Amino acid sequence: MSEVAQETDSPGYGLLGLAGAGVMTALAAIFIYVPTEKTEGIIQRIMYFHVPSAWIAFFAFFIVFLCSILFLWKKEREWDIYAHASAEIGIVFCTLVLITGPLWAKPVWGVWWVWDARLTSTLVLWLIYVAYLMLRVQSEPGSTRARYAAVIGIVGFLDIPLIHFSVLWWRTFHPSPKFITTQGLGTGNDPSMNITLLIALGAFTLLYFLLMSLRVRLERMKDEIDRIKKERLYSH
Amino acid sequence: MSVYLNQVKAIVWKDFVTELKTRELFSSMFVFALLVMLIFIFSINLSIVSANEVGPGVLWVAILFAGTLGLNRSFMLEKENGCLQGMMLAPVDRSAIFFGKMLSNLAFLLIMETFLLPVFMIFFNVDLVSHLGPLVGVILMGTLGFSALGTLLSSLSSNLKTREIMLPILLYPLMVPVAIGAVRLTGQILDGKSLADMMNWVGLILCFDIIFISASIMTIDHILEE
Repeated sequence: MSEVAQETDSPGYGLLGLAGAGVMTALAAIFIYVPTEKTEGIIQRIMYFHVPSAWIAFFAFFIVFLCSILFLWKKEREWDIYAHASAEIGIVFCTLVLITGPLWAKPVWGVWWVWDARLTSTLVLWLIYVAYLMLRVQSEPGSTRARYAAVIGIVGFLDIPLIHFSVLWWRTFHPSPKFITTQGLGTGNDPSMNITLLIALGAFTLLYFLLMSLRVRLERMKDEIDRIKKERLYSH
Repeated sequence: MSVYLNQVKAIVWKDFVTELKTRELFSSMFVFALLVMLIFIFSINLSIVSANEVGPGVLWVAILFAGTLGLNRSFMLEKENGCLQGMMLAPVDRSAIFFGKMLSNLAFLLIMETFLLPVFMIFFNVDLVSHLGPLVGVILMGTLGFSALGTLLSSLSSNLKTREIMLPILLYPLMVPVAIGAVRLTGQILDGKSLADMMNWVGLILCFDIIFISASIMTIDHILEE
């Protein structure tokens, strides 16, 4: 038992260092290295947080999908922990996307929110995974919760392409705003901007793995405490 | 195969007999749908906006809300007297239980819709009779998708502490493609245009139906497991 405890206690110092260095480099690149954009001004720098957050959110939800399938197939608690941890991190980054987006949009577009396809699908995605986490809270811990959550994890991800196309077509019937095209990777023709964005993407990815390892460790500790509690309860 | 069909038929039949005895579900769904429509009519000014523009939205919101009521009821009845336990003990495939429940949900919704459409026609003063064919097609497709995903999620949420709350929270974000698609198509039909230039929506809803019926068959074993 002590071996198990030792193993779960080992913090990934290597990963911590790597993610820390990555985030520092990204911050330096975003605030010092990269020149300020001409038309949008200082607010454009939010893009270096917005785009990586969106990438991490989608990546995290994809991991939820994979781990949900693996859980239903193998029925190992491990996959349930991974899916849960990834969904929580995904929600955090999806929330960041939904916060940084309007912050950028207000000065640049003049409005907080547009019912554009990308914005709408991000919002719907956020709602799906909030429901996923609510389901986890509402159901009894154990295999039932893991099975139900896995079903939602799979069904939710399968729905993403359908939602994407439906909101895309929903809006193409209206004149689509031209400024949407300036958003995304195509903005930075300057190589320094592309480099900064790549650094930020890398740093966020490292951050994701760091958060994952911490969250998974926490969940394993919880399991361990539950097990010890039960042991105590039955030994007296 | 015929054994499987008989099993599905038995479950649908059981639901119909229960409904004929109690008459709870149909009346509550229909009255609720009417109320939803009425509230929308109060909240929009029909003399400013044209009925063809808001009508489809109101119709589908009424169908989805009333349908949620029915879905909640469908597995709660099974839970209450331990019927679900009995069905699971019976030597039938889990997917037969799913199909049985899905078909009875679909049938109840379709019956409710046949009563709702004339009322919709009168309230919104739109002509449905002249393009009944495509409209029935769209309603069938949309309702099929709704009952497929709805039955799966209802079987899941019926085991939760807060089942009435969790079902819509889980279901509505996932229903977005069908909700948008069905409203678009219905609007197109009410405008008197053909569906030929909106075939992408038809394809999308059919994709939704197929994807979620197959996803349900694959995952229902993991939900109905004690």
